[in-house]
Amino acid sequence: MPIWNKDSARHLLSRALFGYSRKDLDKALSYSTLSDFVEKELLATIAAPKAPGDWVSTSPLKEQIDKNLVGDWYRQFTYWWYGLMVTEGTSMRERMVMFFHNHYTSQRSKVQYPQHMYAQNKLFRDFAFGNLKDLTKAVNVDAAMIIYLDSNNSNGAVGKTPNENYARELMELFTLGIGNYTETDIKQAARALSGWSVSGLDVKFDKTRWFADKITFLGKTANFDNKTIVDHIFTQDAAAEFLCTKLYKEFVCHKPDTVFIKKMAAVMRTANYELKPVLKFLFTSDEFYKEEVVASKIKTPTELMIGTLKALDTKTPDWTNVYDTGRLMQQQLFEPPDVAGWEGQREWISSTTYVTRGGLTDSFITGKRYNGVAVTGKTDSLAYIKSFKTSEDAVKLVDDLVALMVRFPLSATKKKFLLDTLLDGTIVTNWSTGTPMADARIQRLLKAIMRLPEYQLA
Amino acid sequence: MKRKEFIRQLGLIAGGVTVGLDKVTAATAYAYNPVQVNMQATNGKIMVLVQLAGGNDGLNTVVPFQDDIYYKNRPDIAIKKADALSLNGEIGFNPSMTALKKLYDNNKVSVIQSVGYPNHSRSHFRSTDIWNTASDSNVVLQEGWAGRYLNSIFPEYPVKLPEQPMAIQLGSVESLLLQTDLGRLGTVFEDPNTFFTLVNGSTSDNDAPPATLAGNELKFLKQVAVQSIQYSAVIKTASDKGTNQMTYPNTGLGRQLSIVAKMISGGSETPIFLTTIGGFDTHANQLGQHFNLWKTVSDAIATFQTDLEKQGLADKVTVLTFSEFGRRVNQNGTLGTDHGSTAPMFVVGNSVRGGIIGANPNLSDLDGNGDYKLKIDYRQIYATVMRDHLGVESASANSILKKDFEWLPIYRKSAERTPSESAFDLVQNYPNPVEGLTKIRYVLNKQQPVRLTLHDMTGMELMVLREEIQDPGTYTQTVDMSTMPSGLYLYSLMGEGGQRKSLRLVVSRG
Repeated sequence: MPIWNKDSARHLLSRALFGYSRKDLDKALSYSTLSDFVEKELLATIAAPKAPGDWVSTSPLKEQIDKNLVGDWYRQFTYWWYGLMVTEGTSMRERMVMFFHNHYTSQRSKVQYPQHMYAQNKLFRDFAFGNLKDLTKAVNVDAAMIIYLDSNNSNGAVGKTPNENYARELMELFTLGIGNYTETDIKQAARALSGWSVSGLDVKFDKTRWFADKITFLGKTANFDNKTIVDHIFTQDAAAEFLCTKLYKEFVCHKPDTVFIKKMAAVMRTANYELKPVLKFLFTSDEFYKEEVVASKIKTPTELMIGTLKALDTKTPDWTNVYDTGRLMQQQLFEPPDVAGWEGQREWISSTTYVTRGGLTDSFITGKRYNGVAVTGKTDSLAYIKSFKTSEDAVKLVDDLVALMVRFPLSATKKKFLLDTLLDGTIVTNWSTGTPMADARIQRLLKAIMRLPEYQLA
Repeated sequence: MKRKEFIRQLGLIAGGVTVGLDKVTAATAYAYNPVQVNMQATNGKIMVLVQLAGGNDGLNTVVPFQDDIYYKNRPDIAIKKADALSLNGEIGFNPSMTALKKLYDNNKVSVIQSVGYPNHSRSHFRSTDIWNTASDSNVVLQEGWAGRYLNSIFPEYPVKLPEQPMAIQLGSVESLLLQTDLGRLGTVFEDPNTFFTLVNGSTSDNDAPPATLAGNELKFLKQVAVQSIQYSAVIKTASDKGTNQMTYPNTGLGRQLSIVAKMISGGSETPIFLTTIGGFDTHANQLGQHFNLWKTVSDAIATFQTDLEKQGLADKVTVLTFSEFGRRVNQNGTLGTDHGSTAPMFVVGNSVRGGIIGANPNLSDLDGNGDYKLKIDYRQIYATVMRDHLGVESASANSILKKDFEWLPIYRKSAERTPSESAFDLVQNYPNPVEGLTKIRYVLNKQQPVRLTLHDMTGMELMVLREEIQDPGTYTQTVDMSTMPSGLYLYSLMGEGGQRKSLRLVVSRG
């Protein structure tokens, strides 16, 4: 079992959550063992949140699109989810909702109605630590998914050609991975999955548009329906390995360790695809904490934004700024780029998105976006720094801030660069938060820390 | 940002990237550095790629309106014979493509039919990777083909950044097309001015990151930062200097191509531009959507071409469309089409021959999946564009594509240097990266004095591999790198009249 201390706690919180605050770290370390913390805090079931608005239960109507009510609802919905993330404390639930959003993807631009996207988001929350097989069955008949991958009105009756889009991605992206099925399996699965359509907020099944005869799918001949087909997919060895690889890449490292993944997959099969035992296995394994994976993950835009807000103890973030900049950094919630979702790691970074990240963190400190638009709820830098016990000791203060915010080990030169930024020409012994222009110097220091390329790593 | 500040930040960021260059003075660099006197650099020509993301339905783009099988398979979504814009009485463009049809009539569009690759992948993601890396269906490559081309003409990267961006992508997420093992070769942005403003304030330091997993990610971040800082000003300058002489359609692709035209007009020497339009994954209700998509593509490309013609720049530029796959011959149950394989491609520009290349789809000869069969490998088009437009030597074009492909009659004449202009060609060594022995191949078009040398990345000569007068022919020189430390090297061939070509060799152990 890995050692439970500040270092391991920081690593765990920056990976299993959307970043953390000083308070979160204290709370984690108030548990005497890692295993206790993971079980009683990280993976604990917590109360379901209130819905973002009454619109979630209104029947979808074309006029909601024509009058662009849906645009406002999506904003409300997105701000609401950001709010849940920033107040998640030490529960991993929202982080798993995000994982599923990026796994069983749907795009708002195609689904259109936020009511459906909300129902899908709620489904992911209900299953955050649930059973993957059951979740996959629920996704099969999720209204947003039915619209997104063209199952809507797919007709599999004899002599008809049902839509193959969902059948393909169910296997390629959601359960097995490419190479573990044939083009014929896709055509057959499309038949078994046909007959469904969306009606209002609900989905309905029309038996006459479904292929009721036997099909041969992944080597088995039977009268498959939308549930038994999932059961059969999950009998394949590839399923657990595929899903564990995805979890590994999300939480541990972009370079999968196949030996460890095989062990993880065995745990997953034994648990009959229940997630909790798998997550517990992962977060209490030595593999998760091994030195070479620490600070190797490039933060997602959402992790960067939410994590920064948490580290800065921001009480009332400017969600408009977060929403707009998240989009510029290529992560608009409910709008992954395509059905494969956000690929992550280096794919987040291009010439443009890299510099936009710097513009974002600056804006939390200066209260201005790169284009001059005002940002509300900016950090009161002086008050923030005064909340550190070491605020009057420049060297220790820089150490504390770096320990809180930067996972990649900084060299002495780099720390000196940060110290010089704070001191701005004066000497260490002259530093106090009461010196003239202290606020401006602190602002420069905070910006400089978050402009370090190292800050992009978690 | 003030210029001084800019340079300071560049210095801060560049850590490890410009190492060693200051050891070479300008004079010695000019005289001896194989990088400075390099015949292979760009020939001033530009390739603009238009990616049609999602899998374009080829049969409703270039419509076989005389083929009954087409109409039988698509009772609800076929393009009516009367609506198709006939090219030759047999096939015609989608009715939305009036602007491109006009260019076709002026011999500025080459339509290449039935393009694909054997064992076509029908996964969006895998097939996009295949098109971007120019690999066989069963081979996974990590480097984009355009990236490999750029590596061959900018061997000094990443030790030294070329003055102009090597490639520009309009968008936000860098395509695999431009990625190589040594770094991202593309500069990616949506708008030159916004990009310039955003770069302001980017800093770093000059610690060399450790060779760990996390260290490699940090090194990558720093490289992107350096390129952003260096190129944002170059890009803004070109865009400020340039003009558009046409009003572009107010579409995403229209805006992207207007920026490309402006930069070319402003003197940009970047050889590769990538633009993208999505939405081609038409599984349901495709007729109207597909019409609109092609109206967007056709109008944007035609405006771009006219703009360049008006500015006298059209000879420099060729436009190439590509998509990860075509779509199934028969319609599906939701008035759309599912993933297929083969499809047509377009090459547009002043220097193309125009007309139709390759056989029309044979809809009575389908494969097991219900797709028509390929006649032309997509890499034949890449090879031909490299040789006949970008002026890459035949042997080098084949080496970049890792296979020999048959050339296609896309262009009126080839831009490849004739034997009198180019006395030799030097090809990428194999294997590369290398641990011990590697082979360097070169082709001599005439008898000449040959000097083949090995250098470090600063240009310093480390070894003379061969120095003699040789007859025309193909030569292979085996080099033993087993005593050389891991890292980047250049090898350079100097032939007749002091012409020189250099390529990069990577030694990698452990």
